[in-house]
Amino acid sequence: MFTTRTLTRWAGLLAASAILFAACSTPAGTTAPSAGSAAPPPGSAAPSAASGAPSGAAGGTYEEFAPDQALLDAAKTEGTLTTIALPHDWCNYGESISVFKERTGLSINELDPNAGSGDEIEAIRANKDNPGPTAPDVVDVGLSFGPAAKEEGLLQAYKVATWDTIPESAKEADGFWWGDYYGVLSFEVNTAVVSNVPQDWADLLKPEYKGQVALAGDPRTSNQAIQAVYASSLANGGSLDDAQPGLDFFKQLNDAGNLVPIIATAATVAAGETPITIRWTYNALSNRDTTAASGGPTIEVVVPASGRFAGVYVQGISAFAPHPNAAKLWQEFLYSDEGQNTWLKGYCHPIRYESLVAENKVPQEQLDKLPDVEGAVFPSLDQLNAATKLITEQWDSVVGANIQ
Amino acid sequence: MTGPAIGPRAPGALETIAASARVGRRRRPRAVWSWLIFLVGALYFLVPLVATFLHSIRTRPDIFLAYRQVLADPDFFVGLGYSFVVGVITIVVSLLIIVPTAYWVRLKIPRLRPLVEFVTLMPFVVPPVVLVFGLIRIYSGGPLILASSDLGLNTMLVGAYVILSFPYMYRAVDTGLAAIDVRMLTEAAQSLGSGWARILWRVIFPNLRTALLSGAFLTLAIVIGEYTIANFLARNQAFGPYLSLLGRNQPFTPAAVSLISFALTWMAMGIIAFLGRSSRQRVQVAGAR
Amino acid sequence: MENVTSIDERGARPVRPVRLRLGWSWLGVVPFLLFCTAFMFLPTAFLVIGSVLDSDGIVTLQNYADLSTGIIPNAFANSIEISIVTAVGGGVFGFLLAYAVILGGLPRFLRTALMTFSGVASNFAGVPLALAFIFTLGQAGFATALLKDVGIEIYPGFRLTSKTGLELVYMYFQFPLMVLIIAPALEGLRREWREAAENMGATPRQYWRYVALPVLAPSILGAMILLFGNSFGAQATAFQLTGGTLNIVTLVISSQIRGDVLHNPGLGYAMAMGMVVIMAISIGLYSILQRRSERWLRS
Repeated sequence: MFTTRTLTRWAGLLAASAILFAACSTPAGTTAPSAGSAAPPPGSAAPSAASGAPSGAAGGTYEEFAPDQALLDAAKTEGTLTTIALPHDWCNYGESISVFKERTGLSINELDPNAGSGDEIEAIRANKDNPGPTAPDVVDVGLSFGPAAKEEGLLQAYKVATWDTIPESAKEADGFWWGDYYGVLSFEVNTAVVSNVPQDWADLLKPEYKGQVALAGDPRTSNQAIQAVYASSLANGGSLDDAQPGLDFFKQLNDAGNLVPIIATAATVAAGETPITIRWTYNALSNRDTTAASGGPTIEVVVPASGRFAGVYVQGISAFAPHPNAAKLWQEFLYSDEGQNTWLKGYCHPIRYESLVAENKVPQEQLDKLPDVEGAVFPSLDQLNAATKLITEQWDSVVGANIQ
Repeated sequence: MTGPAIGPRAPGALETIAASARVGRRRRPRAVWSWLIFLVGALYFLVPLVATFLHSIRTRPDIFLAYRQVLADPDFFVGLGYSFVVGVITIVVSLLIIVPTAYWVRLKIPRLRPLVEFVTLMPFVVPPVVLVFGLIRIYSGGPLILASSDLGLNTMLVGAYVILSFPYMYRAVDTGLAAIDVRMLTEAAQSLGSGWARILWRVIFPNLRTALLSGAFLTLAIVIGEYTIANFLARNQAFGPYLSLLGRNQPFTPAAVSLISFALTWMAMGIIAFLGRSSRQRVQVAGAR
Repeated sequence: MENVTSIDERGARPVRPVRLRLGWSWLGVVPFLLFCTAFMFLPTAFLVIGSVLDSDGIVTLQNYADLSTGIIPNAFANSIEISIVTAVGGGVFGFLLAYAVILGGLPRFLRTALMTFSGVASNFAGVPLALAFIFTLGQAGFATALLKDVGIEIYPGFRLTSKTGLELVYMYFQFPLMVLIIAPALEGLRREWREAAENMGATPRQYWRYVALPVLAPSILGAMILLFGNSFGAQATAFQLTGGTLNIVTLVISSQIRGDVLHNPGLGYAMAMGMVVIMAISIGLYSILQRRSERWLRS
């Protein structure tokens, strides 16, 4: 594994990352004031790099995943990998899975693709004594679940080969969990129904959007929905430390009759029932593509002009994984250049994005397809937990049940 | 005046004829109401299906694109087939447990009826996700290990589905038993020397035909539509997991899938109904008093 | 139904004293209870145990105390209301439908069609059902548009995502369930009884009041209890349709024990135990009504 080539590459990556981190240190607008949080603003380098193609790059290339032989052999004796909660159209996991199978010859046993983070952790717990096919090897969960699962002893530590190129703030120091990708909250708009596409959070309150705005989940339980409320606070006078304005914003939205309680799916957007939906960019863009492929109405994805909010998910390996080597191999794949680029094809910003771009590892056409997310901010774990608590507890009373 | 004792010219015949005519006339207005109710019901049931269909053909340029995709996917049929087989097994197991129990309770220990009914309603209270994780926990260690083998997991799946079918199966069977005179039938059979098994098999089961069909339909529908338990038990060949993998975020395909599976399940029920039809006139035993 | 405590078992079993016979009778439900234990009671023991633990695993009764706080009483009230409305509404119309095809003089094939359709429709719930109704009666729905064309604007007076809308959607699986369950009882209604009643000069109302309903009452009640439980335990449809705005027990439970947020599963389990209590109460009420209806039959 440690060929000269790899070493030079790593050295170059480290150097590039160091330069980038230094160069992108916070001008006023890039990160929201986070006076209250102890941790340094996480991922502050990310937005600047994400905003566009590095100048002068004609288009990068990356190599196919080359698994480490020892690990591959160990994994082959296990023969299979059990995953959970990986929908094929989420971050292009469908391709990740098929490419992994091709490169390694392992089979993958996919458990419930629609499981939530809580279900994934519960699956690890319930299968503690069970080496059978119902026990997940790897999990992909919301940020707040990483530390909680580690506390409970449900994860095992592992550091992928490219560990050092993962930003400090997005990983656990001992290797129990690490960030995988991020996206920004955006508006997915059905332009056949909505001719005047909203450009920012404040636009959503306009009377012309009556009965048209929806969330992609329940704000009391869904990561995506909660962070949508959190995000709206940024544009409504709040900050990463104060999510209350987000609740107020949604209260206004509901009182104006603009908020539809229906949980938005690609089908409801295409049908015109929830023509404006707030979702992660990667989901919205992937919906846009599938709808276009079936000849449905044109979907436009708009990243709001202000209040750009990024959310991170994290990977972990189960402490009771029946196939630990297969799990490690999977992680090596995901964090290889090919793995990261496969996520990128699904419009997810992989966590090693800046280093990849700096190394010119991303093809130009991929870069061109990415939305402009400059100025997006990342909450710290503490800020996220505080906001989540506030939103889930207050939602019913502030926005409340508008039942007839 | 003398005349024939019976027949249209018998004394009192006119009144009888008039009475029958009254009955006949009264039957026709009833049919009108029946048609009205049926049509209202049909409208209520069919309109949402039509709306789903209209949505599923919004694909362009090929309006049946979603259907072509679904029907070209072998996993769709594998999933439906596997779930159908599991459904049939579940129905059989459920019947074998519920019919004797409901019969016995009704006959011998009616004081226990509320308790048994309460137990059969418990599946409504338990969230499926709690049930499946509980099952995994119990059967992955301890005396009986089912959770690591395919056969074991299939057993757990059937077991869980039988539990889910209990409320419906019990209620259907109980209603069927209420409509026949269980005590009289049992006494009659016993006086002819039948043992319990024979009574159940030759006397009770045949008289519960409609009830058993209802219970079978309800159970099959549950099994085919269930996805939480099948997913967490890694039964990826089942129909529910197939649907989950299809993706929540396809704009038109899920509508096509739900209509096709609706139609296919309806056909499956039709087959069961056909197989379960009585080959001779139902024996009319004096019904509930 | 009378309380049967003895039966002539000539030829089946030697006669035993009453006490012991009852003792033997209990054995009859053992297979059923064993099966329930293996596949329901044991797995859900975790639920019961979990309801008295807090998030750190310490025994506490706080979860039960919390049942009276916040949105939980409202959730129970909503669930019970929706369940009663759909049980009664579903029961009545389901009964009428079943009567129409079985005894109402309609062609035989319609009966088979309705029975088999009911089989499928009884479980057509969750996301596909919610979406079907959204496509029909949502703001951009097919029926909404049709009604608008003939001049009837149902919005904003009617909202599909309200409690009423949800009840309307729930009927989709409640009607068929009633049809399937009550069918055998309707078959048990002898045609001769009706004819006999009419020959004695009874009006349809009298027939129903004195003959048909007393016979059917226990079965109708039983079916309605099932409809109540069915609605009480339903979750996926409501979730898709109403998102975060309607509080019903099953949704609150699943928000505590699942989802992307760390909540208090113990509270969810305690709520599930609350559901158990409610089901027990309904069975109790049903038993009382059942006995009353039997008295009606005998009177």
